[in-house]
Amino acid sequence: MVFPAKYPSLNAVQMTDEARETLIRVLRVAFPHTCVPDGPYERTADRILTEAEAETWFRVALSQGLLSLNQLAGGDFRALDDDAALRTLRRVGGTEFFGFVRRTAVLNLYDDAEVWEALGYEGASFDQGGYLHRGFDDLDWLPEPRIEFPPDAVLPEIAAGAAPLPPGGPTPPADSVNQPGATASDMEEVKK
Amino acid sequence: MTEQTRPGRSTTGYSVPVEEEAVVIIGSGAGGGTLAYELTARGIPVVVLEAGPHLTHEDYVNDEWEAFNQMAWLDPRTTSGSWRIARDFPNLPAWIVKAVGGTTTHWSGATPRFKAHEFKARATYGRIEGANLLDWPIGLEELAPYYDRAEKAMGSTHVHGRKPLPANNNYKVFAAGAERAGYRFYATGPYATNAEEYDGRPASIQDGFNFQGDKNGSKWSTLVREIPRAAATGLLDLRPESQAVQITHDAEGRADAVLYLDSEGNLHRQAAATVCLAANSVETPRLLLLSGTPSFPQGLANSSGQVGRNYMRHTTGTVWGHFEKPVRMYRGETMAGMIADESLHDPDRGFAGGYYMETISLGPAFMAAFADPGSWGPDFAALLDRYLNTAGMWVVGEDMPQETNRVSLNTTVKDENGLPVPNVHFDDHPNDVAMREHGYASGEKVFGAVGATSTHRTPPYPSTHNLGTARMSERPEDGVVDGWGRAHDVPNLFISDGSVFTTGAAANPTLTIVALAIRQAEYIADQLRSGGTRPL
Repeated sequence: MVFPAKYPSLNAVQMTDEARETLIRVLRVAFPHTCVPDGPYERTADRILTEAEAETWFRVALSQGLLSLNQLAGGDFRALDDDAALRTLRRVGGTEFFGFVRRTAVLNLYDDAEVWEALGYEGASFDQGGYLHRGFDDLDWLPEPRIEFPPDAVLPEIAAGAAPLPPGGPTPPADSVNQPGATASDMEEVKK
Repeated sequence: MTEQTRPGRSTTGYSVPVEEEAVVIIGSGAGGGTLAYELTARGIPVVVLEAGPHLTHEDYVNDEWEAFNQMAWLDPRTTSGSWRIARDFPNLPAWIVKAVGGTTTHWSGATPRFKAHEFKARATYGRIEGANLLDWPIGLEELAPYYDRAEKAMGSTHVHGRKPLPANNNYKVFAAGAERAGYRFYATGPYATNAEEYDGRPASIQDGFNFQGDKNGSKWSTLVREIPRAAATGLLDLRPESQAVQITHDAEGRADAVLYLDSEGNLHRQAAATVCLAANSVETPRLLLLSGTPSFPQGLANSSGQVGRNYMRHTTGTVWGHFEKPVRMYRGETMAGMIADESLHDPDRGFAGGYYMETISLGPAFMAAFADPGSWGPDFAALLDRYLNTAGMWVVGEDMPQETNRVSLNTTVKDENGLPVPNVHFDDHPNDVAMREHGYASGEKVFGAVGATSTHRTPPYPSTHNLGTARMSERPEDGVVDGWGRAHDVPNLFISDGSVFTTGAAANPTLTIVALAIRQAEYIADQLRSGGTRPL
């Protein structure tokens, strides 16, 4: 938890290059994709720093959060191996600092053309005529399925065990207000 | 439609004077857009107030977040209740569109019909603790001819001679899994997206950006069909960026005008002879609640106290299956597959009502945001690493109406116009939970049958199917509108969107909203001509 300062100048801190590198390492550990190059992680870190510029509150949370990561790491978070770094992040997983980093990263890291390419997603397609002639149906490891409902069968709507109305004749007449009948639920004991 | 016009005024070249008592339609989506076309086609001029801008197919983009920001209804809203949305997306209870064409520009296109018993949920399911079940005042036999007309208008595949969509990659996995899991009733539709040219709209080019407006115009929406056709009659006064904020009434309790704000925040008043409200199931009750007066102290048309209550969102969930070989589910129509075997009512499964399974695909950006909100770390990253080899399906089924699931005014938070924002409160009913569990398990069975190495359950997205907050009822004390969508309390006020659903059924709602709107338009035209028994 961080607190707003009495005077804004107390929060007028700036992030150093070391802070940026620590942040990139945080992103690499929190969202570990061996297939993704450094560029998207760097861009996401820069985006987080930019968002923090705009909001005193985020900036304070970020600077305090990075500081506490180094403290938990016994000096330098960047020096930890993957496993130790992950365990350290789990310890701060519930903090406002980490929530801000996680949220911003999820919304930006995966909104990056280089990440899409690494994951096998091709992005915009309309300008290339869609996928009509570019493999919308090129999956070949399963048989060609039918695309229409079976012509000779009727889909049941109600299972046999679920009679739409209880057996035993027509619906009982509705109860009137002052003469509760068999279906009334609010009858009370009558006393003389 | 591109000529310069004043804010809050018609963009079609045809304009109704503000002091002239007009038929005023609020909203231009499935309900409002259909109504506008059906009325103007009968020679009745209408004013359509649309809160959002007039985006066109040139404006749409093949990019998930950019399109979301361009199209979605992002006005502030709040949430409460035990649903996960209140934790993960507290200011985004519903995923709907604020633009001409409404949410028909975003919808997937699935067009199943209601089944006969789904209009009689109370009689069929019996009393269910905590559920405010009620039978519809109309049945399938009354709606069937309008379903036919709606399907023809929308070009639903598989019916009325429309060709089925071809199998895309995601469907191949889905269908093979269905077959091996023992399901029989699977197909690539019905979907209101053209497999071949029809009704002036081209065949799908399978670009995979259906939710982002469908640049190709192959998918039915009121933006591609009803709005331009209404404009062509010369009787459509369309006012984009005109957000209704109040419906006023006269001393007799009849609606007499709609107040609305233009893009610059100026307040306008359009006199009204008849008002048709089709603002989707969050804004519709909000507007009625904002229109309370000493004559209608609980909000307009709310003598029953049911306005805003019985909010339904369908019981939904997504199952992802991961395979050893590539799927590339993002290639082709986002939704183009349906398994209907579980859509029956079979209480032996442990819940009332049924559900469909439908193919779905998300890009990495939305997958990261929605697959497991709040999650991070190696397991989360592995979900994305398997993206190429992932197939997806969406479970969508009937949820129980509950009086406490409710859209109300949050008077502690206001929007940029100073009006209280809507709060959406939702708790799952035990029947909803049981159905969702069954749906997840069925999805896993389907993907498991074709060799999924792992599967992942995604919780419901911000709601795309918003229903029930001004429901139809036979008796005025049980609901807000009658079987025509006409307010019990206000004779010249109609509700024309999914708010009128008495119960939600398993089917995706758009086809039913359109069928109801065609039927309602016929009724309104008839009443206007004949004078009717309760004058409009």
